[in-house]
This record gives sequence, structure tokens and C-alpha cells, in this order.
Amino acid sequence: MRAVAIAFALAWSLAPVYWMVVTSLKTELEAASLRPTLWPQNATGVNYASLWAGSLPFVSFFANTAMTCFATAIVAVLIATPAAYALSRARFRLRVPIGYSILMFRMLPLVVLLAPLYLLLLKARLLDSFVGLIVGFTTFGLPFAVWMIKSFIEAVPIEIEEAARIDGYPRWQILMRVVAPLIVPGLLSTGTFVFMEAWNSLIYPLTFVTTLERQTLPAALVLTFTGQFKTDWGGMMAASTLTTIPLMIAFFAVQRSMVRGLASGALAGA
Amino acid sequence: MAQISLRGVAKHYGEVAALTECTLDIQDREFVVLVGPSGSGKTTLLRIIAGLEYVSAGEVWFGDRCVNDVDVADRDIAMVFQNYGLYPHMSVYDNMAFGLRRRRLSPNKIDEHVRRTARLLSIEPLLSRRPRQLSGGQRQRVALGRAIVRDPAVFLLDEPLSNLDAHLRVQMRGEILKVHRAVTATTIYVTHDQVEALTMGDRIVVMNQGRIHQVGTPADLYDVPIDKFVASFIGTPAMGFIACRIERSSQGVELVTDSARMRLSPAKAQAVAKTTAERVFVGIRPERLTLAPEERASTAEVMVRGIVELVEMIGAEQYVHVATESGSLTARVPREQAVKAEKTVTLTAAARDLHLFDQGTGIALR
Repeated sequence: MRAVAIAFALAWSLAPVYWMVVTSLKTELEAASLRPTLWPQNATGVNYASLWAGSLPFVSFFANTAMTCFATAIVAVLIATPAAYALSRARFRLRVPIGYSILMFRMLPLVVLLAPLYLLLLKARLLDSFVGLIVGFTTFGLPFAVWMIKSFIEAVPIEIEEAARIDGYPRWQILMRVVAPLIVPGLLSTGTFVFMEAWNSLIYPLTFVTTLERQTLPAALVLTFTGQFKTDWGGMMAASTLTTIPLMIAFFAVQRSMVRGLASGALAGA
Repeated sequence: MAQISLRGVAKHYGEVAALTECTLDIQDREFVVLVGPSGSGKTTLLRIIAGLEYVSAGEVWFGDRCVNDVDVADRDIAMVFQNYGLYPHMSVYDNMAFGLRRRRLSPNKIDEHVRRTARLLSIEPLLSRRPRQLSGGQRQRVALGRAIVRDPAVFLLDEPLSNLDAHLRVQMRGEILKVHRAVTATTIYVTHDQVEALTMGDRIVVMNQGRIHQVGTPADLYDVPIDKFVASFIGTPAMGFIACRIERSSQGVELVTDSARMRLSPAKAQAVAKTTAERVFVGIRPERLTLAPEERASTAEVMVRGIVELVEMIGAEQYVHVATESGSLTARVPREQAVKAEKTVTLTAAARDLHLFDQGTGIALR
């Protein structure tokens, strides 16, 4: 019974991935066929080859995405860590309401923030720039990062920090020299989540970036492979497959430290 | 120089009062133990002295300086936490050197201090290890080492032995006293274990429900408890109590229950005569009670009859728990005396061994 449930869940979640990979290996004709085939009749790598050889700057889409997402992850973690520390350890008025308002921000639909962000970036002359995109990504990655890092900080036994206070260290040094080293796995996994979320983002780059050469992968896929009269499914799926691979690598790289982060959080101090 | 003086210290968490009107003077280089059951406020008081908590009212003085608004870092204190609070990502050496580095000592000086302290605590071979590679006892030593390496004026310990097994605990008691003598700091030690308190403290502060009940030497507390709480908390097994009626007649006063007869010493009789109460609690320490044969009991100054509820063999002696209609007593008697549960026995004691407490307030009658 359990095996059936697991098999169903696996099939359900892996089917689209399978379809993506399989379609990327089909010829243009087969991919567009009205009678879809379960596996490619004549497997071909032509879709992948044309990503490099073709007219589209696929490699620079890839670089744009990697660069902005990586920067977003770092910026978000750098800003979120002191914020999370203050929210979990400092005692000030409105601490709890501020914490929840950050979380509330997270619950707003992204589209609601689109127009105000667009206007802000316009005023700051950051539209159609990587910096603007990083700012946009960070706005929706940050609330999540704050709350996630907050939970890691709260798992650090308070006595360790009190010992550092008695040893004479000011708050920010306690954060840098005692707390941060203890939550490195947590910071890594938070950064990875923010990275993946930014990588997946479609609507922000579509709105904030107007020059195709500066576009990120998800937006570029939509902009370039779907046309008014025909959609290059094979090429799109090949690009999608390549887009997914870094995410999978990122996830598997931190998966172990993520689990360790959670576990050691529970048992720290021992 | 570290005299510590608490003046009317109080602490509230919202509506809940954790400490009420705590006043206490601690001399320079004294070893003072705060003892009490859990929730008595002893750890809160220690954390207030450390500067980790603010007072809601009252003042804390170090020598001639009020430290209410002085930050933890500037109080010249060191603290050992119940769960040690070692820095998990640093070696033992770095754990001990961390505070010294903040004071900008030269690396040579730091090395000298760390190694000297490590020698004192026999943890030199462990200096390169991480805390998770150490046993409980070793961590305890490192926590002690980290605290004393800075040569603080005040040394605070919060139940430092509660995570160790019984054997190690006895050994570490001695170590801590040795350290206290070596570092000449004023030491304040929190524990819920009255045996630890009695064996270690120059003076003991007995606390309950956020109040200081009595401050005194171990002998003071044991021999002249100020109230029923202190009497019952200090001493193992605990003092037993019987509720007695006071009967006043022209001949003087007498304490009466259905199952006991008690003659009073002249001083005690005077103390009882002074009160207007109808009843008192009589407390007798277990080692002061004797299991007497019936014929000898009739001549004893104090005689109580009751039923044996439980006999606990603890080696050379046994604890006999005896229930009477008006309270329970425990007697510590030699193993040779045959005692059976559910039998009626007679306990005797001397008049001078009675402790009398007001039944309403619990205050000792003197």
C-alpha cells in the first residue's frame, strides 16, 4: 500500500520532468506531432547542439541567470542574518509585529509588488540592469531568508552567546564570531533556497529586463522559443533541461548539510 | 576586591514575581551558595548579579559602585553555565583564549594564562580538542577553566555539577573548592542540592518562591533553622514534623497530641509561652530520634508512638519512616535494630532536640 502511494507520488512529480527530457531529444516534427510518442523514435541531440550553434545567446542567458541568482543569494543572506539575529535575540518594542510584517510581505502575491517595484527601479534608473534584477529578486527572497535564518539562530543555545557577552564581546562580534560559524549549514541552505527561487523566477525578469541579451533563462525560454505561428518545443525543452540541471546540483549539494543543519540545531551545545 | 551587595532586589516577568525584596551582603573572597528548590529564584538572582538580567527594583553594588546599569562585559565576572555553554566550533584552547583575546593580551601572555589554568585543572592534554570530543566531566573542567583563566573578581556558577554522575560530582566539588582558593575571587554558587550547599559554602543562602529565607553558615542552618521551610530543606533525610496542641496551665505549657508526650526545655517553654497560637509544629532531626523499647520510653523527655510506614536500608544505617495521627517522622537508626513495616513503634528524643515552629507562619519559636 505504501509502495503504491510512493510510486504514485513519484510518477506524479517526475512525469513532467520525464516529458521535458524526452521532448528535448525528439526531432522537431515528432515533438509537434498530434499523436505524442512516449519515447523518442529517433533520438537526436540536435536541439542541444543548436542551443550553442544557433542564433540565440543561450550561454549568456545562462551566465546572466547564474550571476544574478548567485549575487541575490549572497545579498539576501548578508542582509537577513543580522535582521534575523535582531528579531530572535534583541529585545525591543514592536519586535514581534515587525517579524510578522516581514512574513506577511512574503504572503503577498508577487504580482502585487510588480508595479511598485517597477516604479522604484525606474526612479533609481535600475531598470534593465543586473543590479535592478538582483534588487527585485532580493525583495522576495529576503523575508523567507530572515525567517529561516531566525530559526537556525534560535536553535543556538543562548548560554553560548551569554558566555561570549561575559567574555566581553559586543553583539555584532558575537554574531560574527560565535553565532554565524555555528549556523553555516543553515546559511548555506538558506542561500540555496533563495538561489533556486530566483533561478525559477519568470515574472520579474520579464518585467524589469527589456534587452533580450540581459535576460535570464526562464524569461528567455518564453521569449525566444514560443512564437506567434510555431513553438520550438524540442529546443525549449532542451534549454529547460539545461536550466534545471544547476538547480538539481545546488539542491543535492546542500541537501546533506541542510539535514545536518536542522539536526545539529536541535542538539547543539551538547 | 569584590564585595557584593544586593539591596531590595526584585524581578518581575509581567505579572509573575520571580524575586521579591532580596537583600544580601557577600564579603570579598567568600564562597556563597544559593540553594533552593527549582523555581525559587536562585538562578535569576545569579543572572542579575552577572548582569544578564535587569532588576525590576532594588540595587546591585560591587564594592562602592552601583552596577545596575553596568554591562555584563564591564563587571569583571566569569560564569559557568549549567550546560557549560562552551563554544562548539572552537578548540578547548580557543574556548579559554577567546576572552583574553578580547582584552588584547599579547599571544605570549594568552598562551601563558591558558596553559597555567589548564595545568591547574589537568586539562592540558585536551587543549586541541573540540568540546564535542570531551566527556561531561572534561567539559565541566573546560567550562571552569574558561571562567577562571581571566582571573575575574567574581566567579559565578549555575548548577555546574547537575549534569555529572554522582561519583564525578563529589570529585568536582573538591576541584571547585580548590579552584576557589587558587583564584581568590568572590564565588557565588547556585545549586538545588543541599548536600552540595552544606559541603561547599562558607555561607549558604536558602531561597524559596523568590525570597531569601535564611543566610548563615552550614552549621547555623542545620542547627538553628529560622523557619519550617529551611528546617525541612536542609538535611537528609529531611526533618519530620508533628502538629501539636499547646496546653497552658498553672504549671506552665505542654505540647500534646494523641500519640506523643513532650516535655519542653525551660527556654523552649518560654518561647511557647510568648505566643498566642493554639498549635505548633514540632520538628525533630532523624539522627536525634531513637527507637526505644516500651519500658524505657516512659522515662524519656520526648516520646512519640506511630506506625512504621517504610524502612530504607542505606548501608550501615536504616531510615525508618513513622506515621502518627498528627504528622510523620523519620528516624535514622543502626542496622542491628530489627524494624518491620506496619508495626507500632515508639520513638524517643531529648527535649533540647525539638525545633518549634508557628503553625501559621512557619517561623521558629525561640
